[in-house]
Amino acid sequence: MTDSEVIKLILQGDKDKFRMLVEQYQQMVFRTCMGFLHNKDDADDLTQDVFIRTYQSLSRFKGDSAFSTWLYRIAVNASLNKIRKSPLNMIFQRFENITGGKNEKERYHLLSNEEDPENILIRREHFEWVQRALDTLPENQRTAIVLSKYDDFSQKEIAEIMDITEGAVEALLQRAKKNLREKLSSQRKNK
Amino acid sequence: MDAYREGKLPRDIMTQVESHLETCKTCSEIYRLQVLADKVIDQERKLQSDPFLTNRIMAGIDDPAGSGSQSETVLIRILKPALMTVSMAAAIFFGILLGNLSQPVTDRVKLPVELALIDDAAIETVNILLNE
Repeated sequence: MTDSEVIKLILQGDKDKFRMLVEQYQQMVFRTCMGFLHNKDDADDLTQDVFIRTYQSLSRFKGDSAFSTWLYRIAVNASLNKIRKSPLNMIFQRFENITGGKNEKERYHLLSNEEDPENILIRREHFEWVQRALDTLPENQRTAIVLSKYDDFSQKEIAEIMDITEGAVEALLQRAKKNLREKLSSQRKNK
Repeated sequence: MDAYREGKLPRDIMTQVESHLETCKTCSEIYRLQVLADKVIDQERKLQSDPFLTNRIMAGIDDPAGSGSQSETVLIRILKPALMTVSMAAAIFFGILLGNLSQPVTDRVKLPVELALIDDAAIETVNILLNE
């Protein structure tokens, strides 16, 4: 059954069919969210939010593009909105960090299998460098690199999601890689 | 450098880049950092979403009000303390207001003599007792 057929059934009232779309695209949307947020719990919550929003606005899906393209647009916009920190959000986040709302294992969950404390420290530092470098890229470069590196999309697919030309995507990716290189080098020097 | 990292270069150029990286400190450092970035991204990519996420999403669709979405959570975090402060201020205000309403009347109205006879307080004043 194609996405369009599933959507048709959902709009006719068979909302359980939405589970099929969720199961098919959940991991990919999660990866996109992860690329922007770098935190598993936040990415899970945002993925949930994205699918609920998608379901609520399904009747507005015209079918001009593939359903997946439309879904990724929602995921990218939701992620960008989430990271555009308002002063209030920043205060909350700092407060959470001070009070230990998210401990080391949660923040660097990927290191949980490491046993050597020195290795944990080094890898934590490396994670912070890369995440900081990615987070300080301009929004469009960041979006292009997340879709390319985290979701393995082709330049054509990225162009469709971002609604720009393939040439523009190529230029964005090149600038993003150059910026990333410079940012990583400067962080390494500042150490 | 990207093409080298992704193995997209012809064999002879790959060898040239390899030998250059062995001698050039700047390029080898850049290469090392890029490999590091790829490694971090790759590890984040490998993460799996919550196994119960599909059920959470379907439950959120059935009950959008109870889905606990991000925007709602932030709104609750802001509104809750504000609402508590307003409730406390209102409780104090109405407490003072009610307290003022139930204060005893200090200025007693003078009763006529006839009625004073059935007013115990007026009959048994201290003055009467003193006069006796």
